Amino acid sequence: MKMTKITLKALLACAAAFALIATTTFAAGVGKDGTIVGKKGKATTIAELVAMYDSTGCIDCHEDIHDEWANSAHSRSVYGTGRTAATMKSALENGVLSWAFSGATNPEDVEVEHLMGCAKCHLPQLADATDAVAKEFIADIYGLMDAYRNDDETKFEDMKDILLSLNINCLVCHNKMAITHKWTDGYPQDGTIYGSYDGEHEDEAFPHAKVSPIMSESIFCGQCHGLGPNFELDNPTQCATAYGSYLWAYTAEGGTETCQECHMEKSGLGHDMQSYRSKVMSDAAVDFEVEAYGAKWRDGRLVTPKAIVKVKMTNRTGHAIPDG
Amino acid sequence: MPMPQKMGRGDEMGRGPYEKSGIINDTGLPPGKTVEEHFEIPFYTEDVTDDDDRVIERKLMDNTLEINVKLWYLPYGNKQSDPFIWQDFTKKVTVSE
Repeated sequence: MKMTKITLKALLACAAAFALIATTTFAAGVGKDGTIVGKKGKATTIAELVAMYDSTGCIDCHEDIHDEWANSAHSRSVYGTGRTAATMKSALENGVLSWAFSGATNPEDVEVEHLMGCAKCHLPQLADATDAVAKEFIADIYGLMDAYRNDDETKFEDMKDILLSLNINCLVCHNKMAITHKWTDGYPQDGTIYGSYDGEHEDEAFPHAKVSPIMSESIFCGQCHGLGPNFELDNPTQCATAYGSYLWAYTAEGGTETCQECHMEKSGLGHDMQSYRSKVMSDAAVDFEVEAYGAKWRDGRLVTPKAIVKVKMTNRTGHAIPDG
Repeated sequence: MPMPQKMGRGDEMGRGPYEKSGIINDTGLPPGKTVEEHFEIPFYTEDVTDDDDRVIERKLMDNTLEINVKLWYLPYGNKQSDPFIWQDFTKKVTVSE
């Protein structure tokens, strides 16, 4: 009897120890507290959010790459050409504020979750901000549009500068979005730049370098250039479907190249990732053959002259055109 | 281009990010495939009729026709909002006089 009690106690002790080990090793979210937002806490102003993902320190050593990036749409993912910011306003008014069950009827009611249909890709770091930042962001977009309407150039430039400071910069790709499978590979850690090597990184704020398991894979780009409707949202939207097309219509037909191979390497554009408005990309994307000749159709005494035009278009990319 | 289905239901299409949630029709170019289009464009002619209004002759007014084929990308589905010409082809074709 005494033996049994001891055995039971030992078993319970073993089970408790296993449970402790299991909790420590396998619990979801291990390493989450080491992320940029985990260390710094959620941003409460746009200025704090910009500082949290400040990539200006990268320019010292990576000026060429910075200059390439600065020419890409990633560097102005919120402002765009002005059209993107304007579309966010109309998406808010025609969408969120008009929907019966969104919980927002005025711009002042807007919270982060209301903006994630756009921000998921145009400003993913907004997930690391409080609702106060969402309200400030919307106020700035309204400020930009009002200034444009009122010909207030000074205010327009101020608002534009704020919106341009929010973008898909080095830290968004090389830290926040560098790991898709966080339960497998861990959460991206503050102080670490994710890329192609493990080791030291000469930067005070980011002294470590680690290999991103997906940086050269198409899935990395697919996080934003996506599959279709974002069903994780309470009101799904569908903007980019390029990665869906890539998976189901390109790789399914035997295609093997990655997004990065075409948009960064073969194009020679590096971090100046472009699409159809770049002649390099548009020329490579579509073979366009036209054959045109004259002919006459005789029907009894009547002859009808006409031009025969045959057009052949072959999409040479790894996704449908157009897409994004 | 893909025609987005409004809220993923019915036959209505919408282009705003706040309502598109499906594809109802797609005139885009699928990857790795060749899409062919065929056009027949009449030359400028004038018909000559007899007293009974029957067409007895179709007179060719110009035996040269300039053909211009453009491949457009219309992000908003019309030529007023940020249209983009992807490819542009021009050729003069003739028929015998």
